[in-house]
Amino acid sequence: MADLKIIAVDDSPTMRRIIINTLKRAGYTDVIEANDGKDALAKMKVEKPNFVITDWNMPEMDGLTFVTTLRGMDEFKQLPILMVTTRSVKDDIVEAMKAGVNNYIVKPFTPDTLKAKIDQTLAG
Amino acid sequence: MAASDKVQAKIQREIFELTTSIAGLVASFKKLKRPLAESHEKVPQATDQLDKISEQTEAAAHQMLDQIEQITQREDELIKGTEHLKAKIQAGESEEAVRMIDKIAEMANNNLNDAYMIMDSLQFQDITAQQMDHAASILEDIETKLDTILDAMGDSVRSDRAARVAPKTRAYDPHADLFDRKTNQEDIDSLFDKKQQ
Repeated sequence: MADLKIIAVDDSPTMRRIIINTLKRAGYTDVIEANDGKDALAKMKVEKPNFVITDWNMPEMDGLTFVTTLRGMDEFKQLPILMVTTRSVKDDIVEAMKAGVNNYIVKPFTPDTLKAKIDQTLAG
Repeated sequence: MAASDKVQAKIQREIFELTTSIAGLVASFKKLKRPLAESHEKVPQATDQLDKISEQTEAAAHQMLDQIEQITQREDELIKGTEHLKAKIQAGESEEAVRMIDKIAEMANNNLNDAYMIMDSLQFQDITAQQMDHAASILEDIETKLDTILDAMGDSVRSDRAARVAPKTRAYDPHADLFDRKTNQEDIDSLFDKKQQ
């Protein structure tokens, strides 16, 4: 847990604050944030996080394009990615899975679910 | 040509022009029919979406108010508890004072948990913001269709407005909902478990 550096990618500042606070309560204190996929890619080149939490519907670059882009880059091919989104239609979830998402949570989420999915993703 | 023939020819020409004009009008009305019908269909969609936002915002507000009421009630008990605690310490009743300290700590802990629950409940803001973007997108579609009608009528309103308002990029899930999930978390987990096997 001590070495885990998480990037939280969401276009909603409210949601980013909630995610960061939830992560801190769960003991994950090293968290950076980004507004969308494009912003995240720029920050990741510098910050080198080792876990990604991303939304789907975002301006500039959406979550699905962001994940696909990451999976196409050698340094981020194996990076654990957890998608946290309002999208709950099964076809969307399958699409995210095909793009390379490791785990998936539908908003609104509980802190227990977020913690469990991070642990599960890291263990998997 | 006899005078009556001339009159008849003139009447025929005017009837022909009138028929052509009516045909043109019918064609114009047919062109307007589709954007009007589409606008008519979209208005209830926008109304439903706005009603949903109103209901879900109210539900989330009530949820948070319930938690705030519990916190304030406990805070009230905490204030009274510290007064009693002070009296017990001054009276040298240390056993009773310890019991009261435990109770105060428990109430403070419950307040902390309720405060966190309020923070979790604030996720509604992201969801209703997406619902509002969806409603706004429907209204923008209606506006475009009405612009088409105004254009066909030779009105210049569209170009004036288009020059004033820059289009906003909207990123939203059209199914975003605070309560209704199309797939539950267990089924999502099962999909990912199958992938790993």
